Amino acid sequence: MTKVLLIEDDDETAGEITAELADRGFDVEWSSDGLDGLAKARDLRPDAMIVDRLLPGMDGLTVIESLRKDQVRTPVLVLSALGAVDDRVRGLRMGGDDYLTKPFAIVELVARIEALLRRPPETRETKLRVGQLELDLIERTAKRGERKIDLLPREFRLLEYMMRRSDQLLTRAMLLEEVWNYKFVPATNLVDVHMGRVRHKVDGPGDAPMINNVRGAGFILRAVS
Amino acid sequence: MQFIRSKTFHWTAALAGLFAIFVIVLSGFIYFRIDDYLIARSDRMITTQAGFFAGLPRERMISALDDHLEQDSRGVQFSGVFDAKGDRLAGNVAALPDGLAIGASARSVPLVRLDSRETGVTSVRTVARRLDNGDILVIGRNVDETAEVFRVVGAALGLGLLPAFCLWLLAGAWLSARASRRVEEVNLRVQRIIAGDLRERLPHRSVDEPFSRLAAIVNGMLDELETTINALAGVGNDIAHDLRTPLTRARLTLERGRTNATTLEQLQQATDKAIAGIDQSLSIVTALLRLAEIENSRRSSAFGDVALGEMLREVCDMYEPIAEDKQVALSVNISAALSVRGDRDLLLEAVANLVDNAIKFTPRNGSVELELKRGEGETILRVRDTGPGISEHEHEAVLRRFYRSDKIRNTPGVGLGLNLVSAIVKLHGFRLIIHAGPGGRVEIVCPDEQGGRT
Repeated sequence: MTKVLLIEDDDETAGEITAELADRGFDVEWSSDGLDGLAKARDLRPDAMIVDRLLPGMDGLTVIESLRKDQVRTPVLVLSALGAVDDRVRGLRMGGDDYLTKPFAIVELVARIEALLRRPPETRETKLRVGQLELDLIERTAKRGERKIDLLPREFRLLEYMMRRSDQLLTRAMLLEEVWNYKFVPATNLVDVHMGRVRHKVDGPGDAPMINNVRGAGFILRAVS
Repeated sequence: MQFIRSKTFHWTAALAGLFAIFVIVLSGFIYFRIDDYLIARSDRMITTQAGFFAGLPRERMISALDDHLEQDSRGVQFSGVFDAKGDRLAGNVAALPDGLAIGASARSVPLVRLDSRETGVTSVRTVARRLDNGDILVIGRNVDETAEVFRVVGAALGLGLLPAFCLWLLAGAWLSARASRRVEEVNLRVQRIIAGDLRERLPHRSVDEPFSRLAAIVNGMLDELETTINALAGVGNDIAHDLRTPLTRARLTLERGRTNATTLEQLQQATDKAIAGIDQSLSIVTALLRLAEIENSRRSSAFGDVALGEMLREVCDMYEPIAEDKQVALSVNISAALSVRGDRDLLLEAVANLVDNAIKFTPRNGSVELELKRGEGETILRVRDTGPGISEHEHEAVLRRFYRSDKIRNTPGVGLGLNLVSAIVKLHGFRLIIHAGPGGRVEIVCPDEQGGRT
């Protein structure tokens, strides 16, 4: 069972996160204090960690820094009420792998944890395959079965990102950050419009849908049998 | 009499005292130097005279002494010849004084003048010589006149110094009263400001003096504070109002869902609607925090060269599907490869906001054009659309937080977009220009001195 260590001082938030992660099959260990959390991280060797920035005992970023000094490479998702870009950059520089600003949707948190746990290894593959869907990174071509898919450069990048993280929930914020490198949330539902176009091209008439919209959360690319 | 306790007065009084002491010491110094000089000159004179008279035979000497005394109109000369027994032979010295050092250098000796015995003994600079025949020659000169001159000058100095000292004190009192009056007035006004009257300002005259300059600066600061505080108060109300609407909606939905939902699906629907309401509230809070972040200029560290053409193409690429869906033609017109110094992410956000607005408010079959061109000494980023545009009287209003024109009440949005753009433009030292309709035309003008160049 995947073990996740949550270091969060707010009981209610911690309770919600623990319950949600437990429902999804994670083994969650909770600590409400920085020092205790650091000790637990060293003892339990979890697969992933969720660390709040402002903690009693020891600041969240210091906890991560101490672990990184001990050569502990456990992926860490930093939680914080401080959402300014500079704060995020600092969080990532201190050793965090991802950063989520409060308030957040629980699905976003779970999606990010899953993404961290299944972070794709740096592959040199030139062809990506998910079920019938195939993407040639050299020739810049896409096919579903025998049907060629004509993609614009941005759509190609979006599909590549999704194929590298197939079966994972990808939230709109994740897509904006990773595919478009946007540091803000635009007023219009940009991601949905782009995704709609890609979906239209990938899931042709009569095809079983591969790109699934998870209501209020994001999108998942799944292989169909 | 409060001025007597004031520092200005104390300083002036101290300076006046110091000045008086200085004048007295200087006068004393001059007096003693001149006195020494005059005595030395008298001594030289009487020594030379004594030498001259001593060289004459008795008869000639006596007649020469008589002539000498006759010519002394001021009555300061003393001379006398005494025989070996001490009896006076000639001159105006009544008697040989006791303790006369014969043959010594000139010194002060008490002498009595023959023609004015009643005035008594006078201390006179005197030399005495014993002549070859045993007679004693006494030559003296009264130097009291120098002392007299100085007494007169000293008295005049004292009389002059007193009014000068009083004048100093008066000046001190006036300066101190004037300063304390101004400080009092400032105190009074500052107290009014503290009490909440933000329109109050410090008094200042239009002359170039430090106090007026300080007052003008403080008044400038108060103007800025007043504007900010008023804006803040307005923003507080606006935030409360704008958050209230979606939160009320969410609450009502949840309440109704809880009471009326009979199936899980109905409950989920209600919850989804409530979440949407809360998300809208959060997006307002996020936008406000972002505004605060930008206005605090915390991101100037991320400044670098931003290739504007590339950035415009990126925004266009991003918004193309949305424009297409709405059947709005989106185009980019770049006249040259231009770049400015700035924060790429923020500038991208500003342009994206402008394009977002332009597409949102342009009716079907309209067009939105992004343009990048050089003006005179400036780089211009222009977003033009065929929408209704912003009327002239709304140009300032649209930059206020939460302002939503009546024409767009039903269009989704929180009324912070142009506010964000304005904050970003301000942070960069650029200018945001909203042109009057018909059609929307908004420009971000980047002057060259801010780093804009080809």
